[in-house]
Amino acid sequence: MTPKRVIFGLLGTTLDTGKSLNRWERWRPTVSLAQHDDFAVDRLELLYPRMGTSLAKLVREDIAQISPNTEVRLHLVDPRDPWDFEEVFTALHDFASAYTFDQENEEYLLHITTGTHVAQICLFLLAETKRFPAKLIQTSPAFKTNDPAGEYRIIDLDLSKYNSIAARFQREFSDNITGLKSGIATRNPAFNALIEELEHVAANSVDPILLTGPTGAGKSHLARRIYELKKHRRQVEGPFVEINCATLRGDTAMSTLFGHKKGAFTGAAADRPGLLRSAHTGVLFLDEIGELGLDEQAMLLRALEEKRFLPLGADEEITSDFRLIVGTNRELLHHVAEGRFRDDLLARINLWTFRLPALKDRREDIEPNLDYELVQFAKRTGRTVRFSTEARQRYLAFANSNEAQWTGNFRDLAASVTRMATLSPAGRITEPVSEAEILRLRSAWKTPTDKHSTIDICGRIMGEARASELDRFDRVQLADVLSVCQRSRSISEAGRELFSESRKKKTSGNDADRLRKYLARFGITWADVKPTAE
Amino acid sequence: MILIDGSQGEGGGQILRTALALSMVTGRAFRLTKIRAGRQKPGLMRQHLTCVQAAAQISSAQVIGAVVGSGEITFTPGAIRAGEYHFAIGTAGGTMLVLQAVLPALLRAGGPSVVVVDGGTHNKAAPPFEFFERALVPVLQRAGVHIEAQLDRHGFYPAGGGRLVVKVTPTTEARSVELLRRGAIVEMRARSIVSRLPRGIAVRELEVLCERLGLSEDRAEIVDVPSPKGPGNALVVEVRSEQVGEVFSAIGEVGKPAEQVASELARDVRAYVDAPGAVGTYMADQLMVPLAVLGGGAYTTGPLSEHAKTNMQMVKLFGVNVRADEDGTVRVGALPVS
Repeated sequence: MTPKRVIFGLLGTTLDTGKSLNRWERWRPTVSLAQHDDFAVDRLELLYPRMGTSLAKLVREDIAQISPNTEVRLHLVDPRDPWDFEEVFTALHDFASAYTFDQENEEYLLHITTGTHVAQICLFLLAETKRFPAKLIQTSPAFKTNDPAGEYRIIDLDLSKYNSIAARFQREFSDNITGLKSGIATRNPAFNALIEELEHVAANSVDPILLTGPTGAGKSHLARRIYELKKHRRQVEGPFVEINCATLRGDTAMSTLFGHKKGAFTGAAADRPGLLRSAHTGVLFLDEIGELGLDEQAMLLRALEEKRFLPLGADEEITSDFRLIVGTNRELLHHVAEGRFRDDLLARINLWTFRLPALKDRREDIEPNLDYELVQFAKRTGRTVRFSTEARQRYLAFANSNEAQWTGNFRDLAASVTRMATLSPAGRITEPVSEAEILRLRSAWKTPTDKHSTIDICGRIMGEARASELDRFDRVQLADVLSVCQRSRSISEAGRELFSESRKKKTSGNDADRLRKYLARFGITWADVKPTAE
Repeated sequence: MILIDGSQGEGGGQILRTALALSMVTGRAFRLTKIRAGRQKPGLMRQHLTCVQAAAQISSAQVIGAVVGSGEITFTPGAIRAGEYHFAIGTAGGTMLVLQAVLPALLRAGGPSVVVVDGGTHNKAAPPFEFFERALVPVLQRAGVHIEAQLDRHGFYPAGGGRLVVKVTPTTEARSVELLRRGAIVEMRARSIVSRLPRGIAVRELEVLCERLGLSEDRAEIVDVPSPKGPGNALVVEVRSEQVGEVFSAIGEVGKPAEQVASELARDVRAYVDAPGAVGTYMADQLMVPLAVLGGGAYTTGPLSEHAKTNMQMVKLFGVNVRADEDGTVRVGALPVS
């Protein structure tokens, strides 16, 4: 059975217009889809804005007249601003998500000739990322004749000649995207809620925002998006200034942040404004704030409260008005308890705290981020790379398994995608390439078996004093058990892995109970292993 | 199974329509391959598909390969059923072309039929309604068929929306029809049909026609299409002679001057009038199948067009005894009644 041909298209509120009969003498892109003798359309899904309601109905009538076998379905899709990337993309994306595609019996085309420039780019990208599992169809007026049917061309995005267009559209798109979520692919409901709340806070608050979470969870990326959102809303005008506090040491820390006057210290050959000043009317992102020295903390607090600070060697305070975002992967409270972090500064920056989950705690986001990273790769290199279906399935199966620990979170994922894409010069990641990458990741995440690390994990969990009383015989075994526990989501899951062989022979009864008893022998509870687990 | 090479001769579409018509009448299946091979857009077009589907509906045929773009089709007809049929041809395609495919079968059906066809009634690459009504239908009536054709609405490319209705009652005693001598020309009339276009176009066309064909003004008429579905213009000349009626036509096109449309048509008419044949080039082609299906016959014409030669090969494939003599006489034998 030949599949039915179904076309999605936007009503061209300019190109498709015409009420008088003279409209038939003009090329009207949507109508032209049904005007070709060599091209049968079984169904047209026409998206129209509210203001185009009567036109949409007229177009449907006209198509019925010239193509009685084409069913035209009208869908009201009405983004408030058809020139706003966010709104258009969301509207089209929502439509595609809600649509039931039947790829076994229908083949889809996406008509990209009508709609705003913004809508065309969004459609292109939605097809590129297979949100619309469709080829593109482009219509154009007749080149040499006066035939109002014009011409049509079907574009298969899998062909490499469209890579540069894809990259350009992708760039234009991301340049215009301002919503926080739009740059962040997520299917995780909790993370989604977090982003929405963060977006709300970013739009409505001038107070500092604290982003916590493991390294590579995307704090820096998120900070930049917050800045872009604020900039789009005209809440900030200045630049985005970013620094990792772990890279700041000694005198240079002070001068990097707060600036100095010429001659303030040896080597201060000229005035330096400092990052706080550079971020004036913009956003300052201080990553790994826990690494900031106490002196700098005091200066920062004052700069936050008074919007003024004194550069090194300067006689007068200078002013800077900036929004602050800070990131940390540590528990700042511990630092406060140890006297390494000022409690008054913590109180000041701790008003809005958002904890970014590790990638392994939102595995449903691995797939969309895989696509995102491929797009990023295309942006950087101008080369579009795709997975073969088998390679993708294989890679995702591994990525979603417990075996994949994603200790470096998104940094690991980005590096992994870059490696595979680079090793696939033909533009297609094949199964051998993904298989090799899986091996590479496995060995990178392998629990090190040397003495130090076994001491480490036992010491960390039991305390070094108690751990040192263990025989090496017990300690090696315990270390391995603990490392399995740590990467498992529950005690049952850890038990299943640890006693997998006995499970096969059905000799083991309750794995979780067996594991719990084993840990108890060393005075360890599940909560000691996974302090954050519920 | 009759095997037909669709790439032979001229007119891929006509090969299909002739095959459909004769297959239904004879009850013989055919396989047509290489449909419109070598064309810029090869394979079945939507307008052809409509013909196939209409033929299949009338004869309860089994069809393989009936999709747009298909290069091969197998058609196995069943019994022809008389009755009321309604077909719609897309892209404002020619309604006449649908009739070419299905009418011969209804001429031999067991009872009267009514066929309604929606689409274009005045198209570039097809005869206009007037040709059917004034030239072909009278010949069919002479063969004994009771047939009426009615134009409900005009339809032009690209808007379509036209409709014609044909009522036909078959005869069991079809007569042979001979159109060997034209006789003197009794009357010549020109008609310009304008649909939602300035009358000035029609005026200019008719001026040129009258001058070239020596017609007086009262032989020229402008027809304004009532409740038009879209813009369009057709120019028609009817030549009535003692023995036969002929119709010639041209379709106005955007960007083509009215004078040019008219002078090209005048040339066609002159060629017919100046030649000795009873029927024109197009009619010579169109008569073969209906005559074969009815009681056979003979007619004189000028040199056969490539279309007509191809069509002759086609009707021979289905067992029709047809030959063209050197003096310009085409003799068509009647298909044995099955």
